[in-house]
Amino acid sequence: MNPKLHSVLTINGERRDVLAPASATLLDALRSVLGLTGTKRGCNHGVCGACTVLLDGKLARACLTLAADVGERAVVTIEGIGGNGGLSPVQRALVEHGAIQCGFCTPGVVIALSELFARDPRPDRGAIRGALSGNLCRCSGYAKIVEAAERLAGEAR
Amino acid sequence: MDYVAPTTLEEAYRALEAEDARCLAGGQSLVAMMNLGLASPARLVGLRRIEPLRGVARRPDGGLRIGAMTTHAELAALEAGAAGPALLAQAARVVAYPAVRAWGTIGGSIAHADPAADYPVALLAAGASIEIGSARGVRQLAARDFFRGFFETALAPGEIVTAVHVPPGPAGARAAYEKLSLVAGDFAIVSVAAIAGPAAQVAVGGCGPTPILSALADLGDDALLEAGRSIAAASDPPSDHRASAAYRRRVLPELLRRAVRGAHPRP
Repeated sequence: MNPKLHSVLTINGERRDVLAPASATLLDALRSVLGLTGTKRGCNHGVCGACTVLLDGKLARACLTLAADVGERAVVTIEGIGGNGGLSPVQRALVEHGAIQCGFCTPGVVIALSELFARDPRPDRGAIRGALSGNLCRCSGYAKIVEAAERLAGEAR
Repeated sequence: MDYVAPTTLEEAYRALEAEDARCLAGGQSLVAMMNLGLASPARLVGLRRIEPLRGVARRPDGGLRIGAMTTHAELAALEAGAAGPALLAQAARVVAYPAVRAWGTIGGSIAHADPAADYPVALLAAGASIEIGSARGVRQLAARDFFRGFFETALAPGEIVTAVHVPPGPAGARAAYEKLSLVAGDFAIVSVAAIAGPAAQVAVGGCGPTPILSALADLGDDALLEAGRSIAAASDPPSDHRASAAYRRRVLPELLRRAVRGAHPRP
């Protein structure tokens, strides 16, 4: 039938074995093989951004990345963002500013903003909007998300 | 399906001999197609580990040789130089979203040949050529001959896009890329790429299976709108969920005018 491939992935700093068909995406591996369900499956074809993860520190769609093709690249998922079970500054800003409605897009939004703040601790509104341009929020809660990011940028000033 | 990850082009050509084998570049189009059930290759040949497919080299004439595995983000970050490379960089900046630009590649995008994609339009206007490798050797094809139809290219079985060659463009010419889309990052409804000096070379995307290339001598606003209307009248745009064919014909002349004006402010 469909033979499974063995891959060793580095996820949130840990080496994890994945046995999955060659057509399995990183999203399939995270959610169905490794039980890391913080990364959400929205559209499954790269449009919605709910499955956004970091791959070697860059934004990536887990649904458009094949698990077998990840190779040596380090994966960071929403589970690896806070560290020690606490919230990261981006997560705290979103919570404190009420920037979460249903929460389905939130993991992808946190990853996108984390990547932005890692390269630019004081982004302006344009940079924030650009960084979030690939993340759909179907509650349409964009204003609060952008404001939370602006507040975090203001704290760094 | 099986997956192989060669480290040399020779290995990749051999791996492609298998029945129904496809190249996997950045995966930003192909994996989406697989997830949607629109592609189900028997083998994927991952190109990520093939060093000669990477890197951008400046040519002595001011043009570029862009390795096929160069990402949209890498092209978007190119320093502005001659008109041809500047046009490619402008197009790269509006391809999809940050996450897609970080991993999607120019080689993968043009081999996919989406009629609403940004690179085909820019490459035709820039007079670029596509370098294609196979076990039989290397050939180079003008961009206008590479894009053959709706998701169709001149690539033969066993061939890989290895690089894109972008000439500098005429001395003193400048470039602009105008894209109309519903939201930032979406595919174009209509897009126009222009390289303009005393005269202009323009390509229109989204209005047919492949970009429409035109040379324009009169760069006055009225002449540009008139040229846009005749291109629109002769074109065969699709009607889809983004816009009707009539809408595309309607917006094309103004987009063409803006692209040429953007490249060349005074006629």
